[in-house]
Amino acid sequence: MDAHGFNWHVLMPVAAVAVGSLAVLVLEVLLSRRTGELTPPARAASERRLALLLAFIASFSLLIALVASYVLLLAGVDTAFDPQNAMLRIDGLSGMAIGIVSMGALLSVWLSSTYLMALHINHGEYYALLLLAVTGMFIALCAENLMLLFMGVELMSIPAYALAAFDRSKLRSNEAGLKYFLLGSFASAIFLYGIALLYGATGRLDYAGLQRTIDPSSTLAMAGLALLLVGFAFKLALVPFHQYVPDVYEGAPTPVTAFISVCVKTTAVFVLLRLLLQALPDLAGLLRPIFWLLAVASIVVGNLMAIVQRNVKRMLAYSSIAHAGYLMLALVSETPEAYGAMIFYLLAYVFMNLGAFGVVIALAARGRDCERIEDFAGIASRRPGLAAVMTLFMLALAGMPGTVGFWAKFHLFESALEADEVALVIVAILGSVVSFYYYLRVPVEMYMRDASEEEPTHASTNELAVLLACAGVVLYLGFFPNARLPGHAAGLLDVLRATVGM
Amino acid sequence: MIPYDHVLGLSVLLFTIGVIGALTRRNLIVILMCLELMLNAVNLAFVGFNRMWAGSVSGPETPVALDGQVFALMVITVAASEVAVGLAILISLVRNRDSINVEDASLLRW
Repeated sequence: MDAHGFNWHVLMPVAAVAVGSLAVLVLEVLLSRRTGELTPPARAASERRLALLLAFIASFSLLIALVASYVLLLAGVDTAFDPQNAMLRIDGLSGMAIGIVSMGALLSVWLSSTYLMALHINHGEYYALLLLAVTGMFIALCAENLMLLFMGVELMSIPAYALAAFDRSKLRSNEAGLKYFLLGSFASAIFLYGIALLYGATGRLDYAGLQRTIDPSSTLAMAGLALLLVGFAFKLALVPFHQYVPDVYEGAPTPVTAFISVCVKTTAVFVLLRLLLQALPDLAGLLRPIFWLLAVASIVVGNLMAIVQRNVKRMLAYSSIAHAGYLMLALVSETPEAYGAMIFYLLAYVFMNLGAFGVVIALAARGRDCERIEDFAGIASRRPGLAAVMTLFMLALAGMPGTVGFWAKFHLFESALEADEVALVIVAILGSVVSFYYYLRVPVEMYMRDASEEEPTHASTNELAVLLACAGVVLYLGFFPNARLPGHAAGLLDVLRATVGM
Repeated sequence: MIPYDHVLGLSVLLFTIGVIGALTRRNLIVILMCLELMLNAVNLAFVGFNRMWAGSVSGPETPVALDGQVFALMVITVAASEVAVGLAILISLVRNRDSINVEDASLLRW
């Protein structure tokens, strides 16, 4: 404890990833210098060892963050740094969010190493950038002040642009990075102007101060709020601010796509949730119709566009837009049950989506992605295990009973029904029904088409570990959605609801 | 003393020019400059608003918050790093395809 009565230990997750990213950067420079004198085979082996070491450091620091956030959650920590100026708050909500994000990032790191080696883009900066982005996410998740929020969101976004363009010799990756960068920084500028206008209208940047001073009749404040929401809609990939998403998801290296789709979305949802709960609770009636429209547009457009895609990465991009639309149901219904269901959905989404991308990564052969739907033909005869887990993830994403995807959708729709949002729930259910069509096309292709003439590839151990872990969680939570957390008396769903009940 | 309406008006004008430029121009360098223009319009608004709020606080013992000024400094830093990454992406694109026209980046289509 220091003079402010702030216990610095609670910053452990942020410190772990920040130190981890710097350690990766420094070690990469120090250890890779000597490889110039070696013979080519020895050099390749040494580069391989170095990459594995860096991946190990990255996953170790993410593991520390994960464990630390869980400990914070169990201890029920709720502490704010410098309460007068309200900058950072570590509470159940941020602990939960940090846990989910670090889990997603950890699985992405394990999916990355083999893929990067196959593509010969096996540079240490990859892990440093990824950890920096995670640091930014953690900062944004704990922020209680628009200035810190902006810094966190930028620290998350800028490394993500670089990651999307990481395969720099390939035009597709360049283009994905460029589009992500242009639209992302455009959105950031709009977001920032929203903050500036809110500051002009209220004179405050902290959430508590905003809540006291924001005046719904002030044009300046409402213009600022509108711009702020546009910025969030960009980061969340909601229709009509979604155009960059399919291009980025398709062009970026697949592990990066997996990381962006899971972690950036989770962060944006949690940050928006905290902003709504702490800064704008009085404006709920005003915001509800906006969220309603965004939800309907995202569900309809995301699902319909996913049907016509011939590329699995692009199909998953449109499906992620639809999933963002489902998440908006909770912001429309505005009950603690709905928010709890939303967090459960995000948790489920981490495993379903990373699993699906993990199969795409595991099937990638010789630097060529297995991403067109035709590439999946006959996979079941060559790689029965991968075909089985891919089918599981596709069913989970569609919301098949017996998988976690069903319970995620069920609780979300149920809480929206309790809030009398019948029309919205009908749209969402119709969207889910449509989604079965395009998700099931992948298993159909895998099991019912003849195999193309290609020698089988072998997935690496770490990829298989990730896939097994994801499949295990998807099935386990599919049968026991309210499973008791280790070390905790209450079930998962109850904990989530209590976290947002505040 | 300059009225605050003028400061805000100039900031809105600069921001609008930036938005229109970023949406209509096809040269990537010009688009980057327009993004910078938007961020600088934000800085102007922050500094202006900070002055407005600082002027409204009465009494010598009341601390004058510098939130807006500090935020402008942060934005300058962020803008610099954003442009660094943007130019790096641009250079790798130019190496692969000898063009800085955004319409040439059209490999990815639905």
